[in-house]
Amino acid sequence: MKEKDAMRQIAQIAVLIALAKAGSMLATLLHIPVPGSMLGMVLLFVLLCLRAVRLEWIEAGAALLLKHLAFFFVPIAVGLMGLGDVWRSSGLALLFILVASAAIGILIAGSVTHLLAVRQRIDFRRPSTTPADGIAP
Amino acid sequence: MKITLFCVALTVGAYVVSRFAARRYPSPLTTPVFFSTALIVALLLLVGVDSEEYRPAKDVLVFLLAPATVALAIPIYKNRGTLLTHLFPAMTGIVAGCLSTIVAAVLIGGWLEMDGMVVASLSVKSVTAPIAVELAALVHANPALAAVFVIVTGMVGAMLGPWLMNIAGIAHPLARGVALGTISHGQGTAQAVSEGELQGAIAGIAMGASAVLTSIGLPVTLWMLG
Repeated sequence: MKEKDAMRQIAQIAVLIALAKAGSMLATLLHIPVPGSMLGMVLLFVLLCLRAVRLEWIEAGAALLLKHLAFFFVPIAVGLMGLGDVWRSSGLALLFILVASAAIGILIAGSVTHLLAVRQRIDFRRPSTTPADGIAP
Repeated sequence: MKITLFCVALTVGAYVVSRFAARRYPSPLTTPVFFSTALIVALLLLVGVDSEEYRPAKDVLVFLLAPATVALAIPIYKNRGTLLTHLFPAMTGIVAGCLSTIVAAVLIGGWLEMDGMVVASLSVKSVTAPIAVELAALVHANPALAAVFVIVTGMVGAMLGPWLMNIAGIAHPLARGVALGTISHGQGTAQAVSEGELQGAIAGIAMGASAVLTSIGLPVTLWMLG
């Protein structure tokens, strides 16, 4: 049973690889500077909405890849090792800029969304509860 | 070949250790990408393997990054109802995050008297790497430097983002996903996925939306500034 699950995950990952390839072919065809994987993501979303692809055909494989999404960025980050000279000249200043601007962006994006989402939830509740209240008693 | 096998094994091993460490001792320092990378670089330096020799291993290991990105469509699809009702807060947050991080980077860069080419490279730092490299050419930035800034921004955001948002009381799952995906693209999205499905779904959208917004907004802004 366990082996069967693994086989199914591998087959499902093969489908995702095919979609990624289709995405990059689409990017070349359309001459747009968008990564093929992003177009593949849009493509899969559209196919799911059209019911052309069923969730259960790919879900197990996708869950495995998404669980370890961070892993695929590790080898890319290790590549920073070869760029020592960039950091030697003004590394500390650059690091400061990158940390500060990331922190500012995260706090602003996060707090704006948080405040609006919390307020929206309260606004949404009012009209939906009013008719229910009228019926319940 | 031997070195490549060693590098692949080392990378997988370091990642396994980092997942254990993150679960056991959760802190910004045990974020998988940062912790694994630090461990690997330290060991590679110790045994005298340089980044050129590591490259073949990298090419093998990143093969599944594209299908993993495609897989993000699934949490987006499953949460499409929630995402649609929260489209306004999410989009507003994405725009605010994109603008504020670029303005902050350019202003601090100018204040620290950075070279114009460096500042231009900083302006594309929150965009996913393949788009940042394309965009770099358009805004007279150095693509290699831009790629470095993108990777560091991803790592910094994934490390410090959840911790900063805990302190600031940003608890809404949607807000956490928006912030991580907008600023720290793929690595932020990976971190958001580990927090929850809704966080991961909106982070995937935010990563795409911030790339599109920056790709359109930055050249237009530069053109208007002359």
